[in-house]
Amino acid sequence: MNLGKQQSDGSASGPFTYYRAPATLRRRIRAAISRAESPRPAWWRNLGWMGPAIGFACASLMTANVLILASIPSKQERLAEDVLGSHLRAMMTERAIDVESSEQHTVKPWYAGKLDFSPPVTDFAREGFALAGGRVDYVDGRTVAALVYRHRRHVIDVFVWPAQGAGASQLVQRRGYNIVHWKRDGLAYWAASDVEAVELRRLETLIEAAGAM
Amino acid sequence: MSDSTQAERFQQLAMPHMDAAYNLARWLTGNSHDAEDVTQEAFLRAFRFFGSFRGEDARTWLLTIVRNTYYTQYRKARSRDESTEFNEDLHSLDDGGSLPAMGRADGDPLSIVGRADDLRLLDQALQELPEDYREALVLREVEDLSYKEIAATMAVPMGTVMSRLARGRELLMKTFQRLGGEHHEPRQAAIRRIR
Repeated sequence: MNLGKQQSDGSASGPFTYYRAPATLRRRIRAAISRAESPRPAWWRNLGWMGPAIGFACASLMTANVLILASIPSKQERLAEDVLGSHLRAMMTERAIDVESSEQHTVKPWYAGKLDFSPPVTDFAREGFALAGGRVDYVDGRTVAALVYRHRRHVIDVFVWPAQGAGASQLVQRRGYNIVHWKRDGLAYWAASDVEAVELRRLETLIEAAGAM
Repeated sequence: MSDSTQAERFQQLAMPHMDAAYNLARWLTGNSHDAEDVTQEAFLRAFRFFGSFRGEDARTWLLTIVRNTYYTQYRKARSRDESTEFNEDLHSLDDGGSLPAMGRADGDPLSIVGRADDLRLLDQALQELPEDYREALVLREVEDLSYKEIAATMAVPMGTVMSRLARGRELLMKTFQRLGGEHHEPRQAAIRRIR
């Protein structure tokens, strides 16, 4: 029954193939395990934030050419990515709209049972931004409202959630998409789309004007 | 014990057995792509459950996780259940109804040391065996585990291991003959040798 089996050093060869783990797999698993452990407190994390800082600096350099407002803080950077990610996912999955209606009195109550705040919902069809509906989404660790507008053949997502403070409107461009962010009356707004930046600004103005009425 | 020493301990303990884990995964899945996925998932699971590792044999522990990963995750995703495929060799054996003789080491197809063609056919024959037999044979003949270790890995009694090995060898031989006997005349010599 002894088959002259190969030894663990692989020097001898048995009748069957012994498949050895590829080096790439080894590296991948090592990396995956160190990633799995990294969220936990570890001694090396006390060494400081040089590593992440250097990584962030490199990432910033790479995206600097598409970043119009380079002064946006890192939190905003991350949120912009989150918002764009949600927008793109919604476009891809064709689940962009949970409640499909151009009627603001349908869309607004729909949110009542789903959110702990009430987003302003206004149709701007006459101004060229038709309300198509809304959905709830998940951004920045919380449930948010995502209002869906159509402008010509484009879709615009306007994400709304409660936020402290106020700030000037900001425009970010990522991978050919425009993202406009502003705050008003305790709500943060993030509009994301592939429409021209000037069109997003127009929608922002419309929403602001509606809120001021 | 801090988490970092836990991770270091895991690396020291588990990494040396990555070949064994991959080898089993490769034989179970039948291809390298899925084998890599199963191995990686198994290692991540093992790391997650490292706290429950009680210092038993690390290789057996890891191989158990590999096979569990394969059976619970990978295989569930596959609609095809290869163990229910019709297999002529299996059926003719079942119809015979007799358990293969346990001590027939001389009739062991694995004792052949033949040409590259024969070895390739042996690989192919093993890959075609139903999972239970293939797994037992891989652990025994490729991974060189003891019966006891195989029983622990597959979570079956020792007697089951032995009957699976015996029946697996019988099936392997039949499959090998079928594969080899169909094409080339010269291979008959090799087959006669393994009988």
